[in-house]
Parts: sequence; C-alpha cells; structure tokens
Amino acid sequence: MTALLEARGVGKRFGGFVALEAIDLDIANGERLGLIGPNGSGKSTLVNCLTGTLKHDSGGIRYDGRAIDSLSPHQRTRLGLARSFQLPKPFRTLSLVDNLRIPLIYTVGARTKAHHLSDAAAQQRALAVLADVGLADKAHRLPRDLTQVEMRKLELARAVASAPRLLFADEAMAGLSPAEVEEILAVLFRLNEEGITIVLIEHIMRAVMSFSTRLVVLVAGQKIADGPPQEAIRNPQVERAYLGE
Amino acid sequence: MSAAKFLVVSFVVSLAALVASRFASNEYFFYIGYQVLQFAVLATAWNILGGYTGYINFGTPAFFAFGAYSTVVLHKLTSLPVPAMMLVAGVVSGVMGLGMGYLTLRLRGVFFAIATLALAIVAQTLIVNWDFVGGSRGVYIIRPEMAPIHGTYVQYLYTLMFALVWLSVAVARTVERSRLGLGLAAIRDDELAAEASGVPTLRLKLISTTISGALMGMAGAPLPYYVTYLDPTSSFNLSYAVNSVAMPVIGGMTSWVGPIIGAALLGTVQQLATVMHFRVDPSVNLLIVGLLLIVFVIIAPNGIIGLFRARRRGAGR
Repeated sequence: MTALLEARGVGKRFGGFVALEAIDLDIANGERLGLIGPNGSGKSTLVNCLTGTLKHDSGGIRYDGRAIDSLSPHQRTRLGLARSFQLPKPFRTLSLVDNLRIPLIYTVGARTKAHHLSDAAAQQRALAVLADVGLADKAHRLPRDLTQVEMRKLELARAVASAPRLLFADEAMAGLSPAEVEEILAVLFRLNEEGITIVLIEHIMRAVMSFSTRLVVLVAGQKIADGPPQEAIRNPQVERAYLGE
Repeated sequence: MSAAKFLVVSFVVSLAALVASRFASNEYFFYIGYQVLQFAVLATAWNILGGYTGYINFGTPAFFAFGAYSTVVLHKLTSLPVPAMMLVAGVVSGVMGLGMGYLTLRLRGVFFAIATLALAIVAQTLIVNWDFVGGSRGVYIIRPEMAPIHGTYVQYLYTLMFALVWLSVAVARTVERSRLGLGLAAIRDDELAAEASGVPTLRLKLISTTISGALMGMAGAPLPYYVTYLDPTSSFNLSYAVNSVAMPVIGGMTSWVGPIIGAALLGTVQQLATVMHFRVDPSVNLLIVGLLLIVFVIIAPNGIIGLFRARRRGAGR
C-alpha cells in the first residue's frame, strides 16, 4: 500500500540549532498515528513543515503521490491536509459559524469550483460540523464566550470543516481534565471512522496509547522509534529519553 | 438589505442629499463640503485595508498625492474631463497599492505601518525631484472657465466628490459583505489560522491594498482643480495620514458606516475650527484630531458604532 503522506529526509534548522534532522515518515491512509516526544523535540516543527507553515531546509514531502514542497499552507489545506493549532487560534471577531464558513468557502468551495458551494449550503454545513462536536447551541456566539475545552473543539471543528483527508491535531488536549480528554478523544475516534487519517501530537500518554495504532517518537529532532505503541515505548532509547539513565 | 437594493437606496439618498445641499447659497459651503467629502472617501478607502484586513497604513498621502499628480500630468498633456482623470488616478494609485503590497506585506503590525510611512516619504521625494510636475516649487493649474454642469466649478468638483463617496461606500460595503470580506476578516484576526483554513492570504491582501489605494488616488485626482496650486508639501501633508487613520478609529472600523461617521464628525469639527480661526496656528487641527483620537481609544475602542452596538446588546439582554 502506498502512503498518503511520505516525508523523506525532512530537515529544519533555526540558525545553528538543528530542530529536525532528516526525518523519514510515512503516514498510511486511514491510520491513527501518535507522535510523541519531550518538549522541544521537534514535534510541532515537523507538523509546521508538513503543513507548510514553515519551509523545510532539506528533504522532500509527497502527498497523495505528488510533491508538495513548494506549495503554500493554503494550497496544502485545499489538497486535504488540515491542522489544528497547539494554542487555539480562533477568528475572534467572528461568530462560531463564520469561523467555520471560512474553511468551507475557501477550501471546500475552492476545491469544488465546478459545483459552486452556495452560501446557504456553507451555512448548513458549518452548523452540522458544530453540532458534531457539540457546539450547536453556541453557533452564533463569539469565541471569547467559550470555555477551554469548547475552544479546543472549535479548533478541531474548523480543521474538520475543510473536509481533510489527513488531520494533524497538535496538542488538542493540553490542559484539559480527564473527562474533557475523553470528549476530545471521542471526537477524534469518530472522525477517524469517517475516513480521516489522524496524526495526534500529544503529551498525555494515556490518551496517545489508547488512540494510536502506531507510535512515532521524536527526541532532539531525530526519530528514535516507529512502530506499534507498546513496542515503541519499550524501546530502550525512548525509555532513556523519558526516564533518564 | 441585498446588495442591489443597497446600491439603489444609497444612490437615491446621496442624490437627494446632493440636490438639497446644492440649494446652499453660500459658495463657501461647497468649498468646505468638498473637503469633508474628500475625507469621507479617504477614510472609507483606508478602512478597507486598515479595518477589514487589519493592516495599519500611514501611506495615505502617497496614494492621495499620486492621484493628484496624475491629474497634473494629464492636465498638461491632454484635455480629458475630470471624471476620466479620476479613473486614471485610480489606476495609478491602485498599481501603487499593488506594488506596495508586494514589497511590504511580509511585514506585520507596527513594521508594516513604518514601511507605509517610509513609502509616503519616498513618493514625495520622487515628486519633489520631478520638474515636469513643478518639483518642489509646485504647479499652477488653471481651471476651465465654465463648469461642465450648472453652477460654479467648485460646485462641480463638490458634485464629483459626492459621487465618489457613494462609489467608495458601495465598494466598501460590497467587500464587507462578500466572501472576500470574510477572508479579509480571517486575515485580520489570525493570519496563520487563515492560511491553514485555505485562505490565500497574500492574494487577498494584494486585492485589499489595490482597492484601498485606487480609491485614495481617485479622491486626490480633482485636488489640483480645487486648490489651483499644488505643491508637494501640502499634497503629501501628514494630516491626510492622520485623518484617514483617526476617522475610522473614531467612527468604528468593522463597518462601512464607521468611517463615514468619523469623517462627518472630525471633518466638520476641523472645518469649524478653521472658519472660526482662533488666531492660532493652523496645525491646531491636528491637535484636535490627536486629542479626539486619544479620548476615543480610551473610552470607545470600537468607535461610535461600537458604543451603539454595546448599548443595543445590553438592551437585548
């Protein structure tokens, strides 16, 4: 089976600091991939390079069989590569519906130019996605009226509204209570069942272990483990990175 | 209200206001009115980039004066009617807006603002060193003896500026309500998130600078005929930059109504101060604008329309 996304030797430096050192990563269609590593190990940098927010210095990225290295972030989103941000970045002057109408109009609408996405259809779809994550009753409120967990849901909903094939959820659960973590996990499981490939970047081990079908571990910009979750965390290098000698 | 309906209604209202104001017997009224209208256009144009897109532009004088100087060039070379010159000025300043966008839109926040300020200085230096349009000495423009429509020449220019206010409000409202406006709002709120949501941010920002610059240029085009003597110091005056920022801030930046309210208020206050000339320095105008700006930023950061909206929301609860 060919991979949905293929990264070969992706490297990124900030001045003299090597943030990523020649990362190889294949993401298969439909899988639930957990991406873990200590703080500063390059997880977010890798996501930024794959989604185009940062330009990688070396290596190449292929998505769905084509090279996407030179594409800007909005072009990659239109191809079906969506992300949520570690710190939620809502459009704060717009209602929740309008927050979701933006990816609908600019991604789904741009993708299906032939059959024009009408305003009414965009509105309806936005409400449906909000209902999916349990935010229907706040559809016409502003992001500042949301709680922390609702903000995370909005962040995911906005990424989902672009109808992605591959979703990077960057620390979607940081700072949430165990019950709230379960809520977000349930949303992610459902999205995966609907056919979206999900990469979960997360520190909460319990969440990652229950969610992932495969685990990739980054330490200091290098991939040190890649495999079934239980095997990956028993890898001696991973134990050393997390627990010390 | 639908876009077509708004165009018709606003056209009728503008026409009625124009006809009513033409009954004013005092020629000085048109002289003052022209300036207030001109600021209404500048404020509306500024707000498309500043209010909708979130990029603070201090380069208004550059776009405005380039519009005026394109008229000087056309006046010397051709005998085009003023409305045609306004269109040409719109193209000139629109292209300038596009160019400025390419050069500066990588910068954000205060750095973008500084770059636009620099643009105004560079543009002024260009004009000062261009003898054909009078250089630093300035240039005299002799008005045609007869206005093409009934009334004096100043009344004619006043009428043109009235039409331009209508046009710029129509453009601003159309942008505001369109998908383009939604994309611009996304850029204003968070550019990274906008890009991640599929918004082609660079292209939208370039459209925004181009429209904004074009309208500013059109506002400047009739200026040489209005003042009959144009020089770089007055046409690149800082007061254009300050006013086109202050008016939307005071009126409210989220809607096309804000800049119009701000221009009506600030423009009138400044003209009154000039008429009553308190035997003080003319720059007292800038002092008034500055003080009002500070007051509003403190008590009403969302401008006058923000105050009304807050009250309505409060009453609704």
